[in-house]
Amino acid sequence: MKCQDLRSQLDDYLDGKLDERPLQEHLSACPECRRAYQHAQAVQEGLRKLSPPEIHPAFVDRAILRATRPQAVGAHPTRRALIGMALAASLVLGLALGAFFSLRDAPVQTVALAVEKPETVRMVFSSAKPLRAATLSLSLPENVEVVGYAGQRELTWQKDLREGQNLLQLPLIARGAVKDDLLARLSHGSSTKTFRVKFEMAKANAPGT
Amino acid sequence: MATVSPYRQARPDEVNFDDLMRPQVEYLYRLAWRFTGSVADAEDLVQDVLLKLFPRTQEMLGIQKLRPWLARVLYHQYVDSVRQRARSPALELVADTEGEDDPLDTLPSAAAGPEEQVEQSAWRERLVAALGQLNPEQRAVVAMHDVEGYSLEELETMLETPLGTLKSRLHRARQRLRALLPMEPFSGGKRVNP
Repeated sequence: MKCQDLRSQLDDYLDGKLDERPLQEHLSACPECRRAYQHAQAVQEGLRKLSPPEIHPAFVDRAILRATRPQAVGAHPTRRALIGMALAASLVLGLALGAFFSLRDAPVQTVALAVEKPETVRMVFSSAKPLRAATLSLSLPENVEVVGYAGQRELTWQKDLREGQNLLQLPLIARGAVKDDLLARLSHGSSTKTFRVKFEMAKANAPGT
Repeated sequence: MATVSPYRQARPDEVNFDDLMRPQVEYLYRLAWRFTGSVADAEDLVQDVLLKLFPRTQEMLGIQKLRPWLARVLYHQYVDSVRQRARSPALELVADTEGEDDPLDTLPSAAAGPEEQVEQSAWRERLVAALGQLNPEQRAVVAMHDVEGYSLEELETMLETPLGTLKSRLHRARQRLRALLPMEPFSGGKRVNP
């Protein structure tokens, strides 16, 4: 076996589809291939060991109920409603949130908005542990609305945060030039943290900027 | 297609759907997490699939091997959702802590565990991040073949994708992962001195 043969048949060896004897003979004589093969095996092993976090105990019931009787859970919308329904007015009734508590040194992100053009902004919050009944309040700058909440500059939701990443899809629309930032305040118990989102106007579609 | 008893067919769809899907939700969640790398996204993906499937309850009653069939539905939903999401950028929020007493700092980040735990967590994050660099089709074939153990021949039928295409996807995905992940962090790998 030559080095090139091993490289070209690496996937088949990893999947155990080929006789390993010529492979082992070659590996014992070729440190470079041995290293490459061990690396490939290690990646495979890492993938197999990568297990998902435990499923949330209530998820199965909730998901089945939501699929079979959506009207029964209409009063308790969740993050899921945000994800599948793009810009529908009901999007923002319930939000799943988290917080990047640990990303304190990352730069503030900027969102591009064009006037009268809805834009779904995905906010990824990461929480190192579950937090029950966290409260998120949004303070919207002048000329920015959450779709379906015309004229409301202050919006508040309460939601349990999961461990790991939580996604908020926020359908925003600019009604005119936006000068200020959006503030998102996350509260849990007596603690509060404020997050800031800057806006950048897309010039071609933003009269008055 | 399996033969469905008239009794079962006559039951309300809600009951049949619950019977069929309840044992499958955790499997779907696990697979969805392997596709997405995120609990929130996995739950959303599974929820989307359930919503889509409820109207097809009668059809599902007749499916003999439901799990691979569900995996295929999940796969297509995943690929579609990734394409839709590509149009809306993700945003990471940053705390504005100026002048604030910051009691929330003590919540998650202060809960750092032993060194090993931290290393494992870092490695896990790197692996998930590397998977995130793959395109959805590559990621799915890695999840279903390398992790869930479906053979490429099984996937050829399940995903209705030619074997050659699957092999090529898998090959490129593995190459990419190896390029993104140096050897040292793997506990299962032995370091070889040059």
